Amino acid sequence: MTTENKSLMTPVNIITGIILAIGVVITVLRFTKGLGAVTNLDQNNAWGIWIGFDLLCGVALAAGGYTTSSACYLFGMKKYHSAVRPAILTAFLGYALVVFALHYDVGRPYRLVYPIFLQPGTTSLLYEVGLCVFLYVTVLAIEFSPAALEWLGMKKLRNTVHKLTLALTVFGVILSTLHQSSLGALYIAVPSKLHPLWYSPYLAVLFFVSSIPAGLSMVIFEGTLAHKPWHHMMDKTHLDEHEGVILGFARGASIALAAYFCVKLVAVAYDDNWAYLATGWGAWWLFEVLGFVALPSLLYAIGSREKNIKLIKWTAALTVFGIILNRFNVSMVAFNWQLPASQRYFPSLTEIMLSIFVVTVGVTVYRFIVSRMPIFFEHPEYKDAH
Amino acid sequence: MEYHVYHDFMMHTKSITYILMGLFVVGFWGIWAFMTSRDEEIHKFPEHDKE
Repeated sequence: MTTENKSLMTPVNIITGIILAIGVVITVLRFTKGLGAVTNLDQNNAWGIWIGFDLLCGVALAAGGYTTSSACYLFGMKKYHSAVRPAILTAFLGYALVVFALHYDVGRPYRLVYPIFLQPGTTSLLYEVGLCVFLYVTVLAIEFSPAALEWLGMKKLRNTVHKLTLALTVFGVILSTLHQSSLGALYIAVPSKLHPLWYSPYLAVLFFVSSIPAGLSMVIFEGTLAHKPWHHMMDKTHLDEHEGVILGFARGASIALAAYFCVKLVAVAYDDNWAYLATGWGAWWLFEVLGFVALPSLLYAIGSREKNIKLIKWTAALTVFGIILNRFNVSMVAFNWQLPASQRYFPSLTEIMLSIFVVTVGVTVYRFIVSRMPIFFEHPEYKDAH
Repeated sequence: MEYHVYHDFMMHTKSITYILMGLFVVGFWGIWAFMTSRDEEIHKFPEHDKE
């Protein structure tokens, strides 16, 4: 008992506890005092970091679920099978946290059922996003459930759910295509507010295409972070396939980033916005597109060619950062760009702390699950049952 | 560039987009050729290679 208590008081657990405690205080403030008490949102800036980071980045970086499962189950690339469960878990937690974080922005969690079941606004993009996320969270929960059921020893139910894998993967790809693009399409409604270099009628395409390298990079990035602390939980198959997953995903991410770069240029050409590139905003756009789209594409290509795993891992981090930067630019930095500095939005400390709290909740649940359930290893009773 | 009618604008932007698309095709071929240049050669017809 004493040993257990001692082992719980690790520096990571203490920091986690502090962040969670702060998060609980902000939660109480948010739901008792309202948005004004904890955010810098106003009439000009209705959506802040909770949408820009928690939702837009959360959804984009959770794309590893549909990219990995479709590579394995739809395209028959079975060599990536060991990456499916970690990717599905990350996607499931990512989407669950998106819904969790959305409660803070929307308020009144007990009315969550309204847009889906009671007052569906079928002509609204937000309704489409809400419906897709609702359905996709359900799909991911079912896709993830075999791991939990194996852990719980519910063999019969696990085998029944497992038979749905292919159908769920197809459904997941359809839903992801729909809502990844719709999140970008939301900003098509604000051509006068979003800077022309980021605004485009192709925003839906840009968001969807960028979600593919985001997902692939996140699988590499998360795999890298998990490799050391949970090395003892990984079986031989997982460890043997690890390098192949990284090299294969690097190649896919390089091509996807190159495609994203092309669509970015077409978006500028379509509206003849080249002149903006000579401005300060143009320099910021070039920094994002050359530094976090073109450069990672090239680095992934070099890493894949040279079989340089270290380079690929760093490039994955660069790409993840680049996708976060892009979503920040669209939702905050280049949004309301024409307003004077005094009216521009900058998140409050409590907003930032709550976003950190949401990520910490995710990491804590992730740690709990991978330390217990068969995520990095095949359950002995279900060997080769995939 | 000055545009007098919407057609002028579309003509200009579409023309540039088509040129870009051509460059992208070449670029994709280049990046793929670069990435796979050190891959081991895949022998689809090993019997044929022996002859």
